[in-house]
Amino acid sequence: MISINDLSVHVGDFSLTDIDLQINDQEYFVILGPTGAGKTVLIEALAGLHRCRGGMILIDDMDITSVPPEQRHIGYVPQDYALFPFTTVAGNITFGLRGRHTRQKTTKKKVNTLAHLLHLSHLLDRDVRTLSGGEKQRVALARALATSPRTLLLDEPLGSLDVRTAKYLRLELRRLHKELGVTTIHVTHNLIEAEEMADRMAILNMGTLEQVGTPEEVFFDPRTETVADLIGTPNILDCDSVKHIGHGLVEAACGGMSIILPLHDGGIKKIAVFPRDIYVSATKPPGPELNRFQGVVMNIQPFSSLTRLTVKVGNNQLLAELPKDIFEEMGIKTGQAVFLILKLRRLRIH
Amino acid sequence: MTIGFEKPQSTKKIKGEKPFQAALMGALVLLTLLFAGIIVSLVAYTDLDTLISTIVSPEIIYAIKLSLFTATVSTTFAMLAAIPAAYAISHFQFPGKSVVDTILDLPIVISPIALGAALLVFFNTPAGAAIESKLIRFVFEVPGIILAQFMVITALAVRLLKSTFDGIDPRYEQVGRTLGCTKLAAFYKVTLPLARNGLIAAAILTWARAIGEFGATVTLAGATKQKTETLPIAIFLNLATADIEKAVAVIFILIAIAVLALILLRRISSMRYPR
Repeated sequence: MISINDLSVHVGDFSLTDIDLQINDQEYFVILGPTGAGKTVLIEALAGLHRCRGGMILIDDMDITSVPPEQRHIGYVPQDYALFPFTTVAGNITFGLRGRHTRQKTTKKKVNTLAHLLHLSHLLDRDVRTLSGGEKQRVALARALATSPRTLLLDEPLGSLDVRTAKYLRLELRRLHKELGVTTIHVTHNLIEAEEMADRMAILNMGTLEQVGTPEEVFFDPRTETVADLIGTPNILDCDSVKHIGHGLVEAACGGMSIILPLHDGGIKKIAVFPRDIYVSATKPPGPELNRFQGVVMNIQPFSSLTRLTVKVGNNQLLAELPKDIFEEMGIKTGQAVFLILKLRRLRIH
Repeated sequence: MTIGFEKPQSTKKIKGEKPFQAALMGALVLLTLLFAGIIVSLVAYTDLDTLISTIVSPEIIYAIKLSLFTATVSTTFAMLAAIPAAYAISHFQFPGKSVVDTILDLPIVISPIALGAALLVFFNTPAGAAIESKLIRFVFEVPGIILAQFMVITALAVRLLKSTFDGIDPRYEQVGRTLGCTKLAAFYKVTLPLARNGLIAAAILTWARAIGEFGATVTLAGATKQKTETLPIAIFLNLATADIEKAVAVIFILIAIAVLALILLRRISSMRYPR
């Protein structure tokens, strides 16, 4: 278990203060925050790359705050991967094994195992500069895993990849974590990535921890306004009863709204829906009436390049948002009746 | 009426571009002609037979050997001193860094004769005299040539290597540390391989500069025929005795060395990392 107690780190003008965090063994832990929140500084401090001004970092009750990076047994994959250009893919993977008195046979076996695990077997002799973004990421992962670290730190590992590759690698990372069981700390600014990957997550903003919990806890119970803002101010609907309607669907009664949802184990107590996942129309939209509701606009608020509408539907007040130009084209006014469609696939269930 | 896009006329020159381009090309041609003209005038002055017989004369062979030896030794020492110094100034923050940086730059801008004279004065102080009498003789001796070259080229090596180290992302070393390298191991297993091309280029440039060093050398080591006679000193001595053909032969040797160094440098700058 990793325990971070009252940790303070100063890098230039930036300060990370009073960080208290417990990360369980074999957990996939995500640190979520906007750019400049201090996510990278935090994992770099864990890796031993920054001197801590105060506090302690413990791994399995052993204080590693002053232990140099090479003795921490922590694998680190930086955002830009930093693959060594002076050697091949195989050379990068074996880099951490050199000088460890590892037998050549053992090294070769390890490289082959990792290459197989990360689908790199056909690339071992390649120059790392000729690899694609996804391949580079997998090589960086193999290099970090080759030394059998106790903990793996991933700094925005999917940040520079295209949507398709990132989606594929998200699954790969989860599979790898399941197979190897290495405690993993993954830093990202991407909410969907955090939600899909995390066993638990921490929200970091301006050098301080805002909230720690499972993705569900964070989405359904954002503790501060900052967290709610960061995750996109979800609408939380309390549901009283659930009725099976067949075809793997249920109908939940949530404050006067009957919402159709996929069948969910363990019942449905709450539903979270983000303002961006609500479709707004001034006229009755064509098509099925699935999760389509009529409500009255209570409030209109500009929100950067968007316009946010508060719409009363049943006993709920839902926040919906749409691009400013589309809002102006629709000519919606306060007190006007509008139609809302809740996108089925984007509903989060608790 | 047809609606469509007009084909962009990419071949048409933008107004006012031609005279500007002509002025730039003019300057380029003028400079190239100037340097080529000097070389052509040297070729016109001598013939191949005289050139070859002069080059194989014992005096010039001695000068070639001495120049190659002293430049190689001084470059080795300069690189050994410059690598850690350049790394320190590139990576570490410390009080008085800008002062140290300026002091290191001094030998580049200061006249080599002044540098040689300063060394000569130093060896007249009690400390310098003690070194001369008890350790090694520099004044008017071959070690003096090496010392003079070292003083001139080390600053250049530091400058070149600093820009090489500045260009290396510290992230590589950090990753090296997390992979089990100590600070020292990360330096020689990560930073030095990354700096490889820069290191070789710096060594070639400083070596070429050492071969051509004259001012500091003549002041500290003197100009004694077949004793402290490096190639530039051979030009000086032969011009002084009006032996122009010998001086021209030495100039050709120096040009050949410079061309070789530049070709090597170009090759290295286009080289990728070896496997």
